[in-house]
Amino acid sequence: MGAFLQPGFWVFVLALAGIYGIFALGLQIQYGVGGIMNFGHVGMMAISGYTIAVLVIKYQWSFWWAAFIGVFLAALLGALLGLTTLRLSGDYFAIASIAFAEITRYWILNTDSVTGGTQGTLAIPDPAGIGGYTTQPDVILTWISDRLYPLFGQEASRDMSMIFIVWPFLILFIWISSKLQQTSWARVLRATREDDEVPRSLGKNVFRFRLQTLVIGSVFGGIAGVFWALQFALLAPEDFLRIVTFYGWMILILAGATRVKGLLVSAIFFGFLYGATRFLEFWPLSLLSSPERAYLRVFLIGFVIVLLMVKRPQGLFGKRDEMVLE
Amino acid sequence: MPTSDKTILEVKNISVSFGGVKPVQDVSFKIAENSFTSVIGPNGAGKTSLFNLISGMNKVSSGEIIFNGEAIHSIHTHKIAQKGLIRTFQGAKIIKRLTVAENLMMAVQGNPGDNLSGFFRKKARREFEESARAEALRRLDQVGLSKFADEYAGILSGGQRKLLDLSRALMAKPSMLLLDEPFAGVNPTLVEKLLTVLAQLRKEHAMTFLLIEHDLETVMNISDRVIVMADGKIIADGLPNSIYENELVIDAYLGSRRKDA
Ligand SMILES: Nc1ncnc2c1ncn2[C@@H]1O[C@H](COP(=O)(O)OP(=O)(O)OP(=O)(O)O)[C@@H](O)[C@H]1O
Ligand SMILES: [Mg+2]
Repeated sequence: MGAFLQPGFWVFVLALAGIYGIFALGLQIQYGVGGIMNFGHVGMMAISGYTIAVLVIKYQWSFWWAAFIGVFLAALLGALLGLTTLRLSGDYFAIASIAFAEITRYWILNTDSVTGGTQGTLAIPDPAGIGGYTTQPDVILTWISDRLYPLFGQEASRDMSMIFIVWPFLILFIWISSKLQQTSWARVLRATREDDEVPRSLGKNVFRFRLQTLVIGSVFGGIAGVFWALQFALLAPEDFLRIVTFYGWMILILAGATRVKGLLVSAIFFGFLYGATRFLEFWPLSLLSSPERAYLRVFLIGFVIVLLMVKRPQGLFGKRDEMVLE
Repeated sequence: MPTSDKTILEVKNISVSFGGVKPVQDVSFKIAENSFTSVIGPNGAGKTSLFNLISGMNKVSSGEIIFNGEAIHSIHTHKIAQKGLIRTFQGAKIIKRLTVAENLMMAVQGNPGDNLSGFFRKKARREFEESARAEALRRLDQVGLSKFADEYAGILSGGQRKLLDLSRALMAKPSMLLLDEPFAGVNPTLVEKLLTVLAQLRKEHAMTFLLIEHDLETVMNISDRVIVMADGKIIADGLPNSIYENELVIDAYLGSRRKDA
């Protein structure tokens, strides 16, 4: 239990929460506003993260340009996903989106010469021998932790610097997104999550609205990928399993899908659950081996989702009527 | 009587089939601008199917539809609506998880906030929303729903939903309105009132109406023409009084209604 009292634990929780918060923000606008069930969101994060690693390591691009291209590609793939499958009805789109993310991951896994395959970004051919892709942003992270040192001493870690980078972005994005959700554009989208025919009969191009939401959400997914890549400084295909998308969904459902500001709290709660399951070493859980305990996290998070769906479909902050009114 | 001889809508030999079912078969008619036409016919006659074709929700298997001189039978529903041809739905489709006022405000055309590019035109957006809301409240007042303005539309009763659907269509300021049984389930006093509202819109805004109704009596006075459909075809078309006495119509429709009673 002592582990929870360590400042380092909470620093990790907050850094992770910031990244996952941005990730979930993409799902929020897609599902909470547009009713689009995207179960392949992790693909956006994978694409932008890997784009950075490949462009920097293999082609010696600047990190910043690589990040820009990474997010751009995530948006482009969101558009491609939408153009090909958004005309399917909700359930079929959900299935297609999973397939999309899996295809992305398998492609990464099997294109060793570009992505490093199973061994991850460490195995990307490195002609210039720069050994990683974070050299440029690391300068900034170090600069921040140097400033934090007088305040926090030994606790001033790279994780802590990440908090100071990620959280301002998370708050900015939440602000922009909540402004966007007050527009009549969002009102049309809210209508489309219930019915297509009414908005169409009133002159709204429903497909355009959906496609725009999907792309905006993908941009958030892509940006989360940039921060993810920075946080872990090393990527592997198994970082981008389906479960990551569901982590995002848990954050979303916990906050209440229609309550964008609730994400701040639920992302931290998720970060805590994620981090805390590493420390569940007390009896009777101590009887489990450590890889078995790792599955507890998945179990616990699944359990929280089910519990919420049954007891509080509107999440912690949402209005019940908006979820259940028939 | 129509105040103009100009044709606003022309339907030329349209048919539609879904597998073996042919809800609309070789239907043709012209609607004069600013006229009020009612469509009657037994259940399953193809009236709603006809509206689905005109509004582009279903595509014609053959034939043409011309609105204001422009062929509209192969363009998207939202484009047709943008041209000023708006429809309502049988059984009232409302957006349950938007408020009553939001349901109406959504219908106003040309909202700068509907485009992402309008995001930065904050002032234009706000002004538009304010006037849309004011207009919505006026419309709600007209049908006695103003006290529900900020409630979710899902709490409305069946009849109230119909009123909302009708008001929402009017918010779009159409030049032509297709109404699919707008009065079914609405109490008679309010029906009278709504008929007055429609007559007024026709007079003041030169709107054209095509309306589906089961009860010929209700629309007898307001209509200057009645089209009777049965089995996907037009079986009679003329002045309301002539329809009332038409043998074919009595057989196909009024007669069977008498038997039901
Ligand atoms: N998409 C469709 N697929 C198959 N059949 C259809 C379809 N749409 C309509 N029909 C059939 O066409 C026929 C006419 O239906 P429609 O709804 O147009 O009747 P209506 O005249 O509006 O009747 P009511 O007065 O009961 O509303 C019905 O038999 C219906 O089952
Ligand atoms: Mg009908």
